[in-house]
Parts: sequence; C-alpha cells; structure tokens
Amino acid sequence: MRTKTAGISEFIQHKFVRTVQRIAAVLALILITVTVEAQEIDILLKGGHVIDPKNSINAKMDVAIVADKIFRVAANIPASLSKKTIDISGLYVTPGIIDMHAHVFHGADVNSISANSPGGLQADAFSFRAGVTTVVDAGSSGWRNFPLFKSQVIDRSQTRILAFLNVVGGGMVTRYDQQDVTDMNPEMNAYMIKKLHPTILVGIKSAHFWGDFRSVDKAVESGKLANVPVIVDFGEHSPPNSIESLFMEHFRPGDIFTHTFSEHAISETAGGRESIVDVKTRKVKPFVFAAQKRGIIFDVGHGAGAFNFNQAIPALKQGFMPNTISTDLYNLSMNAAMKDMTNVMSKFLAMGMGLQDVILRSTWNPAQVIKRPDLGHLSVGSEADIAVFNLKKGNFGYMDVRRTKISGTEKLEAELTLRAGRVVWDLNGISAPDWQMPAITN
Amino acid sequence: MNKNLIVKIREYAGILVFAACLMAQSALKAQEIDMLIKGGHVIDPKNNINSVMDVAIKDGKIYRVAANIPSTSAKRTVDAKGLYVSPGFIDMHVHVFAGAEEPGFTGFGITNGFGSVAPDDFTFRSGVTTVVDAGSAGWRDFHQFKKQTIDNSQTRVLAFISMAGHGMLGTVHAQDTTDMNPVTTAFIMKEYPDIIVGIKAHHYQGNDFGPVDRAIATGRLTNKPIMVDFGSSTPKLSIEELFMKHFRPGDIFTHTFSGNAASAVTPNGREPIVDGNNKVKPFIFEAQKQGRIFDTGHGGGAFVWSTAINALKQGFYPNTISTDLYRNSRNAGMKDMANVMSKFLNMGMSIQDVILRSTWNPANVIQHTELGHLSVGAEADVSVFNIREGKFGFMDARGSVFNGTKKLEAELTLRAGKVAWDLNGISGPQWDAVSR
Repeated sequence: MRTKTAGISEFIQHKFVRTVQRIAAVLALILITVTVEAQEIDILLKGGHVIDPKNSINAKMDVAIVADKIFRVAANIPASLSKKTIDISGLYVTPGIIDMHAHVFHGADVNSISANSPGGLQADAFSFRAGVTTVVDAGSSGWRNFPLFKSQVIDRSQTRILAFLNVVGGGMVTRYDQQDVTDMNPEMNAYMIKKLHPTILVGIKSAHFWGDFRSVDKAVESGKLANVPVIVDFGEHSPPNSIESLFMEHFRPGDIFTHTFSEHAISETAGGRESIVDVKTRKVKPFVFAAQKRGIIFDVGHGAGAFNFNQAIPALKQGFMPNTISTDLYNLSMNAAMKDMTNVMSKFLAMGMGLQDVILRSTWNPAQVIKRPDLGHLSVGSEADIAVFNLKKGNFGYMDVRRTKISGTEKLEAELTLRAGRVVWDLNGISAPDWQMPAITN
Repeated sequence: MNKNLIVKIREYAGILVFAACLMAQSALKAQEIDMLIKGGHVIDPKNNINSVMDVAIKDGKIYRVAANIPSTSAKRTVDAKGLYVSPGFIDMHVHVFAGAEEPGFTGFGITNGFGSVAPDDFTFRSGVTTVVDAGSAGWRDFHQFKKQTIDNSQTRVLAFISMAGHGMLGTVHAQDTTDMNPVTTAFIMKEYPDIIVGIKAHHYQGNDFGPVDRAIATGRLTNKPIMVDFGSSTPKLSIEELFMKHFRPGDIFTHTFSGNAASAVTPNGREPIVDGNNKVKPFIFEAQKQGRIFDTGHGGGAFVWSTAINALKQGFYPNTISTDLYRNSRNAGMKDMANVMSKFLNMGMSIQDVILRSTWNPANVIQHTELGHLSVGAEADVSVFNIREGKFGFMDARGSVFNGTKKLEAELTLRAGKVAWDLNGISGPQWDAVSR
C-alpha cells in the first residue's frame, strides 16, 4: 500500500530514474549520432583545391560523398567520419567536366558519318580519362534513330550522355541527308524532346547545310516548340551566309554558335563559315560582342577543322571569351590537334585564360546552356560527378587544326574521376591500397 | 685573245658545270628525305641499336638510320632530343571488334559488340602502330570483322582467329565444342594469310584439353601458333600439362601474371605461375626454355602485382608485353599500352627489355618479321616517346597500387611514315610562322 511519503519518495525516485533515463537516452543518441556520422561519409576527398564556379568556391576544401551524392563541401572534414579517405593534396577538384559537343553514336554502319557509325566514338573511351562525366552528343541522331542511339549507346554507357537532336529526322548519316529540308520536322522534333525524352534531349542541332537559313530556321522553330536551345554548325553554306544575320535575326538568346574559332578560306564558290575575327585586321567583329551580350552562346567545338590560333589568340587578347569549351570529339579529331577535353582546356590555359575561367566554361556554363542546372557544380545533394586534376608544370605544345603550335607551361591531367560517387578513373591509383595488402585467396 | 686564257676559261667553265652538277645533285638530295627524326635515342632491339641516332623516312619507309644525317637533306626535320625512338609498338593482345551487337547469353559482348573498343582510339596515343586481336572473331564473323574494323582502321590490325566459330559472342559459345572446326577455321585463315596470325582457344570450362588440342590441330594445318586463355576448367587443369604435353614451341600462354581469383570466365581461378610462397614454379622456366611464349595480356582481371613482382625478381620475364585492351580493362588498372610498359619499367625491367618485348619479340611470335624494327626498307611505323620522371602509381587487376618513378608517354607516332599522333606538336611549326 502506498503511503504519501512513500508516494513522494517514489515520485522523487521516479523522477530521478526518468532523468537518468533521459540522460542515458541523450547520451545514447549522441553516441549513435557519432557512430552514424563515422559511417556516414563513403568517400572523402581530402586536401584538394576546390574550384566550383557556381558556388563561388575557389579554395582548399574537402569534399564528402555519401552514396551517389555530394554530402558536404567544407574545410577540414575529419577523416574519421569517412569509410574511405583519398588524399588529394596538391590537386584540383572540380565538378565533373561537361563536354558539350561530342559525337558518340557509335555503331557499325561504315557508310555513315556520325549516326550509328564508327565515326562516332565510344563515350567511355574518352570521357573519364579526361575528367569528363557528361557528354552532349551534337546531333548525331535525329528523331527517327534516337531510339536506337538510346538503346545501343546511352543506356549502355557509364558516361552520362545527353544529346542535341538533329533537325534532320535521320541524323548525321551523309552530307546529302543534311540538305533534306523535307525531313526537318519541328513537330516531331519537339514531340521527341518534350514528351518522350525530356531528361536526355537538351536541344536541336542544325549542321552542314549548303543553302539559305532554312535548316537554322527549322531548328529554331523546333526549339521554340520544345523550349530548348539550338546549336548550329554554320560551316558549309555556299556562298557563305552572314553570321551577323544568324546571331541577330535568326538566333534567340541562348542559341548556340559552335566552331567559334574556325577560319575557312572562304570564296564565293568554295563557301564555308564566316569567321568571328576579321582575317585582314585580326579584330573581333563588333557584332560578335553585341551578339554575346544579347545572349548568343559561343561554343568552342574544336574538332578536326574548327580551331585556328589566328582566330582564338586575337579574340582572347581582345577580351572575347567563348561561353563553353568543348571538343567536337569524333574519329577525325581524336588523334589530331584536339585529342581530348583536358587537352582543349589546357590549350585555353596556354592562351592565357585563367583556370577558374576554364573550369567555369567546362562545367557550370555548359550546364546552364543546356538547361541542366542540376549538373556542373558540387552543391550538397547533387549527383557526385567529380573531376580531380593535376596541373602539370613543364614545357608543352598545343596544336591547331592547321597543325601549327603554341607553347604552354601548364597541362591538366585527369587524376581521379567519379561518376555518381563511384571511382571510374584513377590514373595513379590514389584511391587504391598498396599492393602488399593481404592477398585475396580463394 | 690569248689561247691559254681561252683554255683557262674553258677549264673554269668545266669547273662551273661540275659545281652546278654537284649543286643539282645536292638539291636532289635535299628533297630525298620526307621526314628526319633527329637527335633521339634509338632503341631497335632487332638491329642491336641503342644509341643516339637520326631516323630518315622516305615514301612511308625507313630510309636510313645513322648518326648525324644532315637536316638539309630532309623536307621536314623533327627535333627528338631527349626523347626515345623505337619501332612502333605491337600490342599482341587486344579486343577491337567494336560493334553494336547485344552480348550473347553471358559474356562481354566482345564479338561485334560494345565489349570491344575501336583500335585507333587507343593505339597511336600510346605509341602502338600494330594490334593483334585475340580471338574476338571466329570463322563465322571474320569477314564482318575485316570489313567493319580492319579495313576502316589506321592502326594495322592483325588477328588470332577464335577456335569457337562464334568467337567471343558469349561465354556459352566457348563451351560449344561442336562449333570448333579446325578445317573450316584453317580455310578462313588461308583466305587472310596476311591478317590472321594464329588461333585463340579461350574460356573453356570443361575438364579436358579439347579446344586447346583443336586449336593446335588448326595450327598444324596452317603452320601458325595458338594463343590460350587458360584456367576456366572445372576442376582445374594443370598448366604444366598444357605447356609440356600439348603446346608446341611458339605456342602462347596469355594472362601470365594472373592471380588465382575467380571471375566470370574463371570460376575456380587460374593456376598461377608462382606457388603459394610466390616462387616461380620450376616447370615455367623449363617451358620458356623450350620455346613456350608467355604473354602479359593484362586485361581487367589478369595482372596481379604479387605474381609479377615476385616472378621478375626471380628472373622470369614475359616474352611479350600486351594489354588485353577491352571495355573492362581500359579505364581500370590497365589503361593503355604505355601504362602497361611503364609498369615493367618500374618493376626494374630495362627500357631495352621493355621495348624488345613490345616490338621485335611479338613480331617474331606472330611470324611477322617485317614488323617490329627500323631496318632500312621497313614500313615506317615509329614510336617517339618520353620517359617522364616523377611520382606515379600503377594499379593491378585487384585495384592495388605499386608506386614508381618513371612513366612512358607517347610523343609522336608514325604509321607508314605519316604522323598519326603528335602530343606536343613537335612535328609542326609555330602558329604565327604560317600566315593562315
């Protein structure tokens, strides 16, 4: 039977027990939290110099990854919180590089230029080893063969592959197909982009057209219907068309001019692409600055025939910078002056562009241009696509499509590449244990 | 006029004509060499060259290799001071039958599939000018391989034909002994005598030497070597028996430094060349002495540091260095030929020994003695490379790292005299030296 006193003492006792219980619970919670945190980070990239232009980070910081996402970017995240820590002191860390102009619709049709062709390369053969985690195919497929591109290549690749749909239904098969105005169908293009593949298709490509502005205009019409930008290779008009008219009358802000630094020996009969730098005065044409101000995007698209130091060097000196750096990777560019994305990026370093500017134009800028603001940065919660670079010092040479060269003292080298939190490239084994670890037996 | 003077004038005229002739001759000479690679350290094991020499190329062929060939005799001179010059590398084990076929059953989709890579994507940038496909195509698909890949590549592509009619379409096809026909295979080999260098037996899981013996039978019909990817059998078969009772001299064991870990194609793991104490098994030395060829074939799962390091320490060197380039090896520990060669350099193999095993040795093994050297008249497949000094790491198939200080880097690669790769533009003029 309870007495009042007993009741009080019981009450006190009870309170005491409850307090102890509470303290214990809190302690346990703290312990659990610490334990959970200790296991929380899967990979910690420690001691690198982070360049993340979107988030205005340009400092020594650690990058923590949980599962396939960025978990934290901060100074001095303790290694004890991570299952695996990779020492990257002395190296640069950036968002995974986006190569906005590539041809990766690899296939076996030897009669095709880019669609389902050996001329289109295997993305994974070039991406990770150059720090690239996302490539954007520039119009190798049209709406008719995009499903094949997707099942044959995109779904099988580790690299994130996005694509500009060719304005021509059959994509890039031959030069002649590119002239077929009857196969440029804005409704079908827009349907394919908006309704069927909005997460993969980022825009429309017009290329290799020999006539007037019809190909561009059909692309822009498709782009308006689908609310996506167009990218234009303006290189084969005979006679050449005015790029001023293209930029000021046909393009919308956000539309993309690729092969910015090409220089063709133009004549009325030969045709070609009008250059942005006047070939006589070597001055950037005034409307080019005006166009960029208007929101027209200038993409590098180096390729095998579209990068000339006589254009790029004067342009950069006069303060004209391309919005995006890209390769135009395909079979003819891979072993020539272009080589790979790090080589093209390094070329801009050698021409005097700052490292932050180079990274901006290879990550956050292209992400915005293709309207994929989920990519190109290291914000917490974003997919952990990461490039770790070594900036080599020495004497290097960089070539243009004429096979002439400039000298440089720096060269980017992809050390470590992560795609969705997984190591997909490790040049020097910095993520690996020493070989003398206990042998795996079975 | 004085007669003597006239005679003298005639004499002088004669001298002038003679001088003019000399000048014309030297002008001819000035046009003689297309490209002169000057000042590099030439390593040409076949010709016992290991010194600074110039290499002259004309009409796609090696024209002369000698000290101090004057630049004036060449249209174009490349300064290769501080660099090494060697025959173009021969990568004796690759999978380059790239295509779009769905992988059949279980397997890597090597045959006309995404498991293979395109040769030109990897060769020139690592100094390779010749690759030998290791059985991606069998007799059923070889025509397709030829049309699709071999005829469309800048790289010289040779091949071992698969003993399985369907090649490496799927692991299951490697088990179908009814589709391993020596007569049919030999027939196709005789159709492409310049391309097919031998027969590949691979991935067979049965507890018998059936596919190996059929490959050897095919090899006897064609007088070509066989290459074997061994170690898939359940229970395991003895490699000693393979080398001593089945192989002929010249037959090739690939994946030499494989560990004994199980994989999709080796359910029980391959028998390693070293024993449990990392000692090279005695019969391995004996087998090599008797002419059995040990090929590296690094691949995605067939190169383990403890095996390689211990074997090299005990004086066992592979006959040939090769990559086993395919989808699963390219971005892993293997990477490319230059990386695999660098591994051997860092394990202590001399650069001469590394080059020998990547040029003249494989050329001999595949019976293409016109390749792998810089003899006058040979096709000008040339590799100019740099050995970087620094701190480098190299990974094996288990994903463990071995640290080194040297790394081979391809500077300039010539295929039949044409520049197929130029890393730093050493073959080109300065940008502002050319008007447009």
